[in-house]
Amino acid sequence: MMFTISTAFEDLAVCDAETIFALSSGHGRCGVAVVRVSGPASSMVLRNMAGLTQALPPPRTALLRRITDPQSKELLDRGLVLWFKGPHSFTGEDSAEFHIHGGPAVITAVLQALGSLEGVRPAEAGEFTRRAFHAGKLGLTEVEGLGDLIHAETEAQRRQALRQMDGELGRLYQDWSYRLKRCLAHVEAFIDFSEDELIEDGVLNQVDSSVRQLETEIERHLKDERRGERLRTGVQVVIAGATNAGKSSLLNTLCQRPAAIVSPIAGTTRDIVETSLDIGGFPVLLSDTAGLRDSSDSVEREGVRRARQRVEQADLTLVVVDSTQLPPDPQLVAAFLQEHLSTVLPSPEAGMTAASDRVLLVLNKSDLVPEEQRERTEGELRERPGLPPACFLSCSTSTGLEDFLTVLQSRVKTLCGDPLSGAPSLTQARHRAHLQQSVQALNQYHQYRDQDLALAAEGVRLALTHLGRITGRVGAEEILDIIFRDFCIGK
Amino acid sequence: MLAQKLHLLRHNVLSFVSSRTGSDLTRRQYDVIVVGGGHAGTEAAAAAARLGAETLLITQKIMTIGALSCNPSLGGVGKGQLVREVDALDGLCGRAGDSAGVHFSILNRSKGPAVWGPRAQLDRERYRQFIQSELLSTPRLTVLEGSVDELLVSQPNPEEPGHHRVTGIRLVDGSHPILSSSVVLTTGTFLSGSLFMGQTTSPGGRMGDAQSCAGLSYTLKETLGLRVGRLRTGTPPRIVKESVDLSLAQLQAPDKQPTPFSFLNTHTRCKPEEQLPCYLTHTTPGVERVVRESVHLNCHIQQDAKGPRYCPSIESRVLRFPGRRHQVWLEPEGLTSDLLYPQGLSMTMPPELQLRLLREIPALHRAEIRTPGYGVQYDFVCPTQLTPSLQVKSTQGLFLAGQINGTTGYEEAAAQGLWAGVNAGRTALSLPPMALSRTQSYIGVLIDDLVGRGVTEPYRMFTSRAEFRTYLRPDNADLRLTPRGFEEVGCVTLRRYKKAVSVRDGLQEALMALQSVALSSTRWREKLGNISLSENKSTTLNRKQCWTFRIEIYTVYRPHCEKQSREMERIRSEESLSLPSDMDYLSLPVSLSQEVREILDRVRPNTLGAATRLPGMTPAGIIHLLNYVLRTGRSEDTHEFKLN
Repeated sequence: MMFTISTAFEDLAVCDAETIFALSSGHGRCGVAVVRVSGPASSMVLRNMAGLTQALPPPRTALLRRITDPQSKELLDRGLVLWFKGPHSFTGEDSAEFHIHGGPAVITAVLQALGSLEGVRPAEAGEFTRRAFHAGKLGLTEVEGLGDLIHAETEAQRRQALRQMDGELGRLYQDWSYRLKRCLAHVEAFIDFSEDELIEDGVLNQVDSSVRQLETEIERHLKDERRGERLRTGVQVVIAGATNAGKSSLLNTLCQRPAAIVSPIAGTTRDIVETSLDIGGFPVLLSDTAGLRDSSDSVEREGVRRARQRVEQADLTLVVVDSTQLPPDPQLVAAFLQEHLSTVLPSPEAGMTAASDRVLLVLNKSDLVPEEQRERTEGELRERPGLPPACFLSCSTSTGLEDFLTVLQSRVKTLCGDPLSGAPSLTQARHRAHLQQSVQALNQYHQYRDQDLALAAEGVRLALTHLGRITGRVGAEEILDIIFRDFCIGK
Repeated sequence: MLAQKLHLLRHNVLSFVSSRTGSDLTRRQYDVIVVGGGHAGTEAAAAAARLGAETLLITQKIMTIGALSCNPSLGGVGKGQLVREVDALDGLCGRAGDSAGVHFSILNRSKGPAVWGPRAQLDRERYRQFIQSELLSTPRLTVLEGSVDELLVSQPNPEEPGHHRVTGIRLVDGSHPILSSSVVLTTGTFLSGSLFMGQTTSPGGRMGDAQSCAGLSYTLKETLGLRVGRLRTGTPPRIVKESVDLSLAQLQAPDKQPTPFSFLNTHTRCKPEEQLPCYLTHTTPGVERVVRESVHLNCHIQQDAKGPRYCPSIESRVLRFPGRRHQVWLEPEGLTSDLLYPQGLSMTMPPELQLRLLREIPALHRAEIRTPGYGVQYDFVCPTQLTPSLQVKSTQGLFLAGQINGTTGYEEAAAQGLWAGVNAGRTALSLPPMALSRTQSYIGVLIDDLVGRGVTEPYRMFTSRAEFRTYLRPDNADLRLTPRGFEEVGCVTLRRYKKAVSVRDGLQEALMALQSVALSSTRWREKLGNISLSENKSTTLNRKQCWTFRIEIYTVYRPHCEKQSREMERIRSEESLSLPSDMDYLSLPVSLSQEVREILDRVRPNTLGAATRLPGMTPAGIIHLLNYVLRTGRSEDTHEFKLN
């Protein structure tokens, strides 16, 4: 039984002897943040970061310590530290907790300090839970729940990855991954085919210089701390819907300034308009998108494509509907909205369904609908299974704005409780760890290049595995694709 | 009537073949029937018989058993590993190679022992003779000449999964059925095979042989409802050696000291000085011109729109990589043969153009063709319909091996044949089926890739397919497979087992002796001079030991293999959790998305490991599946062939 749970984590299969850490408390503005550490090196971590040169504190007792960077000895924060001796811990392993101040700068500094310790790395999604399961701390009956948890976490990671892969950083990683794949393919081609086919020795020399170049670039990147700042923070809220439903009016209402141009002409907004907001104390990045309709205008079509892409990456989507377009018979409204949502939202495979808690329906222009019809419709839609919550709102008169803001705020709050939404420092730390391991593995290539090409190739394979944890796994078939494309291989 | 037409052979010598008739076809009931006498069929029949099953091998012509129908060579990079593994499980092809080889070399000598490729050019006649005499002297094995018309099936055993159960076969020539508990089909390219040369097409699986088995194709597709796909391959023209100007080609000498394939052999039949050379030459722009000018006369290449990723013929080479020089190897066909085999010149154009093409190559400017090259198109059974024991999931007792599963190459066929034979034998003897792990052998990688992922082009083994390549080495195949092959599988004879155990113990002893000498790195440096050493206390090698060579390889790779051992452990544990083949994924009462259900329903993975490798499968889905299987106790008891 012990082994089996690990099967669900094929990509995450890293040696359990490693020590992992993660921010366990929610992201957003909070007084105290909790960072958890689990694994055999936990006591070493505690000694190094909390200046405990002698004995460890008694288990499960809070101790106020100065928390310092293990390398520079620089003071990072003062906070509580706790020590849990295995098996009496959540994961069953030796564990430690750091209760530190909740500011992003402190959290980032502590996470980076942890990541700099040897044998310590950021946890993958669900990894604490997995270890708890391994240690027999979770029963089989809890596994069902674990499945759902992993689903939620991987879903959040997927969204975050989509977001990042869209940006400059994503392009950089993809480029490295592509070049590394080619290096591996060329080494493998040399191993598998050079005795029978025409593959020149020069191929390996090219790989030598490509690998060197990659090492230099990744190392330089690891030294350049500022790049991380380019990652956006905050919950991504996207306004989407048909043309002329009032999406831009909603954006303007929410940020109380005309950030987007509003006009009665359908299709006014063609690109994405973004604005940063503070909703209930949580950072929100609000985007307005082009109205979704089939258009012959190529600029507008591009806008629609971007809008759909943005919806797929969003943490929360506000679907704006023109209330005057609703069927007059309240009993038909639910079916109408259902149908409408299916055209706006991405396919259910993307993990997003109308019932998902990542969608809110905004029925705009409520002032243009007769009072009685509105009330009956509201009654009809209340607690409707399969439909997200719907709010009547008039952007021009601000009627219903308060109620809508209350719903929105509670949603944003829930989302911020998910430590994976908009926590770039955590992702950054994970990326750093994999990039570092990738560079180390590339060293093995040079080390064995002239003695044993099989071991040298193993170094490149390993480097690609680590990079693949950021950009996606690379299988043997993909390498063969490149080999057969770049070289003429016979039967 | 039937008896007169059948040629039967039982524990007998070749000279007997023609005179002996089927009057003493004593049995109508066997444990295992193997259909086909190629590389897969011969290994399957021999393995089943070694296991103790009463076995019948049926082939169209006894004289072509063990024939090398394409290239006259065995082994190579990746393929050599397969040969070593087949040998370690007491298969035939390694010893046959040692008996028939006329040019031995270890490929990749400079690239690390893990990827060395033992390879030999073969004497076709000697290879065939070895295989035939080996089969004919195998106890419990009967060889019968005939053509199978129909596969007999009945209702399944309700206690096992499957919709049918195989009960035997019926021959073309008679109505009298031959019954068996299991059947291994190794029909190669003969399932709806058609031959292509120029603009002519004719039915068949190999030039000069009988037509393909239409009845069998029908049973597989219609009665059993198996999904089939179509693949293509080809063979080059055979050239008269005398007509070749070898002074214009580059001589390729064999290794000075031949290395045998088999762990049982210390030397090869061919003496070092008797070995024959190969020759290397290259294509010219003229070759490319002939290909381009003949495209309109070449059916096979015209249909090549969605061909494989590699280049199966010289036509596809020059069309896909124009303006390049391509290598052509001129290989001997045997000690007494007057032919040369031009490796790299598979072609399907009309014969007169084949001659024109050859003569564009300087060394071949006066070349004469003995038999022209041609292409073959044939059906294969999508191998995802098989279990890791190579049994058809829907049909109890029916096993498939070789090209019928979408592979190419003698070694790939032999490896599957052996494993299918093992499991056909085990099934007949009421023993549970066995799977080989991909962490343990190339055979395991091959079968796991086939049944887990399926094929879109003829599958060939490469070392890059094996994730634990540094452990799955040609030098240690005996230690990996032989002891377990004897103790658990039952396909290894006592003689080989004893030999492997003595090697294992000897190596162990030598290693212990070496490890008993521990010094600090400073002291080692004092003794050995300034060489690169790890800073831990380490030991060195005593070069006087007789196991020096193997120990050297072992010690180089050991640290690396230890690092990988956790990953291997994980894959093995996933492989050992099998999923029932009759699971109704579409209505399984667990939380799975419709998309995941459909994927599972379509592919029907054999193990949880295979399920995790499916594209589109989610981690959450795996957990739910695992939970269901464990809770309901629905995991089948597949015996994993484990390793320490």
